[in-house]
Amino acid sequence: MSGTGTAVVCPACGEAAGDGARFCEACGAPLAAAHGTGPDGADSADPSSAVPGSTDPGPAPGDPASSGAASPDPAQSGAASPGGSPEGTPPAGTAVDGASPCPACGGDVADDGYCAQCGARAPVERDHREERAAPHVAGVSDVGVRRRRNEDALALGAVPGPDPGATGGQAAGSSPGEDVSVLVVCDGVSSAPDSDVASQAAATAARDTLVAGAAHVPADDAAAWSRLLVAAGHAADDAARAAVDDATARQDPPSCTFAAAVAGPGLLVAGWLGDSRVYWLPDAGTPEQLTEDDSVAAELMADGMSRAAAERSPQAHAITRWLGADAEDTTARTVATRPGGPGWVLACSDGLWNYASAPEAVADLLRDAVARVGDDPLALSRDLVAWANASGGHDNVTVALARVPGTAAAGGGPADPQDDPHDDAGTAPTVRRRPPGSLPGEPPTDTGPSAP
Amino acid sequence: MATFRAEVFQNEFLPDGGTDVHAIVTVSASGVGGAGTSGAGVAEIVMIDTSGSMTGPMLAAAKHAAQVALDHIPDGTWFAIVSGSHVAQRVFPYPNAPVAIVQMEPAARAEAKRAVARLSAQGGTAMSTWLRLADQIFATQPAVTQRHAILLTDGKNESEPRDQLTAAVTAVTGRFQCDARGVGERWQVDELREIATALLGTVELIANPADIAEDFRSLLAASLSRGVSDAQLRVWTPQGGQVLFVRQVAPTVEDLTARRTTVTPLVGAYPTGAWADESRDYHVAVRLPSKPLGAEQLAARVQVAVGGEVVAAGLVKAAWSDDASLTARISPEVAHYTGQAELASAIQEGLAAKAAGDEATATVKLGRAVQLAAETGNEEATSKLRRVVEIDDEEHGTVRLKRGASRLDEMALDTASTKTSRVRR
Repeated sequence: MSGTGTAVVCPACGEAAGDGARFCEACGAPLAAAHGTGPDGADSADPSSAVPGSTDPGPAPGDPASSGAASPDPAQSGAASPGGSPEGTPPAGTAVDGASPCPACGGDVADDGYCAQCGARAPVERDHREERAAPHVAGVSDVGVRRRRNEDALALGAVPGPDPGATGGQAAGSSPGEDVSVLVVCDGVSSAPDSDVASQAAATAARDTLVAGAAHVPADDAAAWSRLLVAAGHAADDAARAAVDDATARQDPPSCTFAAAVAGPGLLVAGWLGDSRVYWLPDAGTPEQLTEDDSVAAELMADGMSRAAAERSPQAHAITRWLGADAEDTTARTVATRPGGPGWVLACSDGLWNYASAPEAVADLLRDAVARVGDDPLALSRDLVAWANASGGHDNVTVALARVPGTAAAGGGPADPQDDPHDDAGTAPTVRRRPPGSLPGEPPTDTGPSAP
Repeated sequence: MATFRAEVFQNEFLPDGGTDVHAIVTVSASGVGGAGTSGAGVAEIVMIDTSGSMTGPMLAAAKHAAQVALDHIPDGTWFAIVSGSHVAQRVFPYPNAPVAIVQMEPAARAEAKRAVARLSAQGGTAMSTWLRLADQIFATQPAVTQRHAILLTDGKNESEPRDQLTAAVTAVTGRFQCDARGVGERWQVDELREIATALLGTVELIANPADIAEDFRSLLAASLSRGVSDAQLRVWTPQGGQVLFVRQVAPTVEDLTARRTTVTPLVGAYPTGAWADESRDYHVAVRLPSKPLGAEQLAARVQVAVGGEVVAAGLVKAAWSDDASLTARISPEVAHYTGQAELASAIQEGLAAKAAGDEATATVKLGRAVQLAAETGNEEATSKLRRVVEIDDEEHGTVRLKRGASRLDEMALDTASTKTSRVRR
């Protein structure tokens, strides 16, 4: 970077520039930031800087820092770069030579975030983020085709679950049978400025809360998991409000949805506010939409309108609950279910379900994707995002997948959900039991959510 | 230390297939010290018309004004006085002096005033000679780069063909700045406008010779408050992009498009001359190849460069959208200044038509001018228009040419045509 401090070369056009010059004489591109005489690549506070490999489709190298808790397999944890932040701002000192060229024309990208040759906006890392928390937990968040900014956020985790049957020496491998998978998706409300900042803060806070709490919650206690999800929602809300300084003073403070799923041995719990969704897609059996949108469309469906008509109605996407400074009640609704067999938990923003809403459609979509790219959740997430973009990509799209093996956890846990003595709707706040096999797509006819 | 700032006002949203991006860039300079604080020195030349037509009170007023000017040139400033007719003559320093330009100090001031007092009027008018002499005088002090001249005339440039004046203007463009003043009604607005436009100065009508002195005083005060001797507007456009025009739109309309010099294949530089603490608005229009909906790119980088170093920059963006509520908007700043530019040309075309006897066209054009002046709140233009046309309906631009409009009134309107009102924010 600073090198000898004498010869300074413009990163955009390669012309030598005078010592201490702040802008290139030949092409006008800004040179170093206020400090230093070397042409630093990206100022670390500049969110629009291009990041090398941000669109790299390869699984491990392109991933930014993944989940907090230990992913015991070193091959995976190697991908987490400790210096990188989820926002994708590169560590200071990403050398000029390393700045990725403009994807449109191959020219150099100036510090203002646009190409110095063709003016194309340099992709920011947030435009396409891939994350993997474990071999069986991964997701992708993409800006879509029509939007200029990605306001969706993704945060994933995988925690080696406490194994009540094991002795002190716990296996180091993240065997899926013991792991607790954590998926969090938050979708920023695009009409409110800085919702992208809020959504990322919220998703990260929620994931961290879930990952930290996972170690302390008994694996099959649905009520306790539900409470943890509610706590995660509150943590996410706090983070969303704190994300910008003047959130409370604004007329339109940053806001986002919240959808989180925790898949543990034999138990799957989802919590949400807004219209980001969690689906349970078993290999065999009936796919379900676990969450019920807090949206006008969902209210119409509850009143009897068909899904197709409700989702086409003008106010369909107006959400009735969310996180942020102007949200009245930020207690997430939760639902628990016991997977009867192996399958996929899918958390997504409306950028995906706008194109495939009913659980069967999503299940078919995933099945086709598995046939195309195999069963790696990152490859599948990528494929589904690409499908959404090919379908129109009108919105940001985020897909997160966790593979649930569905085998009984060591130490036992009832395979039949009906027998579980811990399931008690009366003691758990906002837990709603939905046994697998209930008709998908229908509004719940059994106990609705308890008052928060 | 002078600080420059560039702010961009635009609607960046283009409809599907849209190609043209318009932006207003406000460039503000602050903390600019007085002239000479940048270290290199300032030079002022006053050029007085001494052609035969000036004989009498006109020349007396001009001489008085020159002496007032001398009082307002501070010690240390390089200066000279030129008298111009069909030839140009250096009045001070004396023609037989060994130096062409000297620094002001009390003895020089007194001598220069005596030299001015002895001026007499005779001969014709060939302003190309005045400009070339001023250029020669300035050139004897190459280190003094902030160069400003005042040119005063009372009549047409009758002693030479027009292209000779144009050739001289072209030859001296970029070498010094010049404000041109016409006294009385016998001079040609377009001749002085040609000089002032190329030499980055202003042109004004002085109706009453007694007002010349005050005008000179304020011209010098303005010139001496410009601590930045030369700033450039630089415009980068992407490969495949094309600059449609670059116009200064405030405080006056000046089309800079043709004055582009190439810095790199993608960057052009436009001269803007010396700056005091002030702000100027520029209208930049760029044409790009259309991109698909959802695409976003940079249409232009507009930068300010002082001494070869870029000190401020603004980004002009383009984003293609199918949202009509976004693409249909016109930036209020762009709309205002587009109106101001149209106002200037409506006035000039209307006056030209009137001079050519085409009253129908003159009425239409000046009517449109009245309409625009009212819409954009340009009160100075409205008041000057009123002296030339009877305004029946301001809103619809219904006017009638005034029978008794004096030549002076028309000239006043013509010279004021390029003055713009600022957009109200």
